Amino acid sequence: MSQALTDAILGMRMDEAVTLAKRMRDGGADPLAIIAHGSEAMEEIGRRFAAGEAFLPELIMGGEIMKAVTSEVMPGGTGSAETDSRGTVVIGTVHGDIHDIGKDIVALMLGIEGYAVHDLGIDVPVEDFVAAVKEHDADIVALSGLLTLAFDAMRSTVDGIAADGLRDKVKIMVGGAPVDESVRAYTGADGWGNDVGHAVRLAGEWTGGGA
Amino acid sequence: MERAAEEKLGDRLVADWVSGAHLRFASDEARGKYQARAQLIIDTIRLEDTGRIPVIPAATQKFAFDYGPVTFREAMTEFDKVFDAYVRQYEDTDFDAYVGPEFIYPAGMFEALRWNRVRLPGVHLPDDKSFQFVEAEYMKAEEYDEYLDDPSDWILRKYLPRLSPELEPLGQLPPLRNTVTFFQGLTDLVVAAAENPGLVEAVKALQASGRAVQEWFDYLGRIDQELGGRLALPHLLGPMAHAPFDIISNYYRGWRGAIVDMFSRPEKMIALMERLLPWQLQYGIDGARALGQPIVTLYLYKGADGFMSDEQYEQLYWPTLKKLILGLVDEGLLVWLFTQGKYDSRLHHFKEIPAGTCLIHLESATDAGLAKEVLAGSQCIEGNVPSSLLATASVGEVEAYCVELAERCGKGGGFMMDFSAFLDEAKRENVKKMIEVARAYRGGGGTGRA
Repeated sequence: MSQALTDAILGMRMDEAVTLAKRMRDGGADPLAIIAHGSEAMEEIGRRFAAGEAFLPELIMGGEIMKAVTSEVMPGGTGSAETDSRGTVVIGTVHGDIHDIGKDIVALMLGIEGYAVHDLGIDVPVEDFVAAVKEHDADIVALSGLLTLAFDAMRSTVDGIAADGLRDKVKIMVGGAPVDESVRAYTGADGWGNDVGHAVRLAGEWTGGGA
Repeated sequence: MERAAEEKLGDRLVADWVSGAHLRFASDEARGKYQARAQLIIDTIRLEDTGRIPVIPAATQKFAFDYGPVTFREAMTEFDKVFDAYVRQYEDTDFDAYVGPEFIYPAGMFEALRWNRVRLPGVHLPDDKSFQFVEAEYMKAEEYDEYLDDPSDWILRKYLPRLSPELEPLGQLPPLRNTVTFFQGLTDLVVAAAENPGLVEAVKALQASGRAVQEWFDYLGRIDQELGGRLALPHLLGPMAHAPFDIISNYYRGWRGAIVDMFSRPEKMIALMERLLPWQLQYGIDGARALGQPIVTLYLYKGADGFMSDEQYEQLYWPTLKKLILGLVDEGLLVWLFTQGKYDSRLHHFKEIPAGTCLIHLESATDAGLAKEVLAGSQCIEGNVPSSLLATASVGEVEAYCVELAERCGKGGGFMMDFSAFLDEAKRENVKKMIEVARAYRGGGGTGRA
């Protein structure tokens, strides 16, 4: 039945995936094992996405199916499981900007790739980024923004992290549709990207594992 | 289907727009300059080789406000101040057309309704930040049938109450479709009204919002007169319509909801888009007629490269968009398609529209050289100068970029210089250099008319 679950997720059939997961749990399967099967399907979606064989809708739909499967088999949530991660990422849309699609996709994809991702949401103040870097002992900070007005907010966030003595501890990427090398230089970040592939590659390079 | 010899709405509107029939010109010189610019824009969209590259502004926000200076908050509340800022911006630059503060909506419109789809400077954000829209699920997955069955009922009793707490009382009205006569339906309606004192407040909120919009319309009219009649700048942005897929994904279901629907109920999505299509077409046509503007603008959101596969685009996004564009073109109207994000793989679809009827805006993510290659002889392209370049680069770097862009895209006509997206942070000298490069361009075989 686990193969059927994988097939349902890869086939983007949410109702079927949830029904199968429920049947597996009712049949005595370990909820964590069911979720692990789902995660394998998500890894395959991530691979297809990286290869240009799947697109945002598949990635987001896969995430939605996994959310539904998880809440069906473990209504209380899976708790935190960061021990085996490839690295810790703090991500958020910088202050003054409330766009979340790009940020959400990068967070989702980095999660699939095995990073422990802490998503601070949108319109995130500098001090929240600083606090999250300390709290989670982050390796990477990912600053997102869609507006050109976000460039200043990205720069002040990088400055804020530096002012707290954390600059050498983390790698910082800036990302969003209008972001390019000139924005990276302006903000003082270590890398930039304007699609999810960029972000994943950068994270891979920085954590030594490749993309 | 092509219509016979009768004059089309769009032909009359083009003639009126080029002549500036709606304007009081400050001088004959202003009239002549306006008409030459408007004609150049029309000729360029129609792919005539004028030997010139018109230069147009996609839209300016903070870049314009800094001429005041005014904050984003003031731009939404103090119309006289921001009026001056836009006038100064256009006095200081040398564009061939203008786009004004049509997207800088009056704060009072939203505030009176406590419209929850927007975050406003001075309310939710600092005064110097742009207002931003919240994309959320305002229509539930199970409501497609309800919408398809009675759209106005859903909009009145579900959609508006979800968008505005002030309009929640509308949700307590009975469905109006049952109002047949005094003993059927009318009694339900009047009793619901009598039992619902909040309705009075809801109407008051609508009226307060409406007064803010009336004041704003008056100010947009004054701007048009000043920028058109005195500074001789044709107005580019007028009537609008939406791609049906964008209505669902941006406004009704949100992107996540729309994606779930793409896989779980695509037939419902298609039915809803087909339902929306004739209304959007009529809205664009009526808007063009009311504003005397032959160019209908469509901002395109969720169809960009990477947002969906080619197959999904061709199945879900393009069919109703194409019908909408064709419907507008059939009225003789021109269509400004404002692509957002990367559009490389979608460009070839615009060749399915009659040549010389569309103006395709390109953001910097789209390969302008590729667009020229794909759409040469088919549709006019414009844009692509990165806002980030204008904000952070040197004048020399901007010049190099724009010269190369002009060389790649200007040849043979069908190209206008413009920046990539709404202009906020940009150095004035960089914007002026972009304009200067376009102005200096002289391609082969010009008509010399402008």
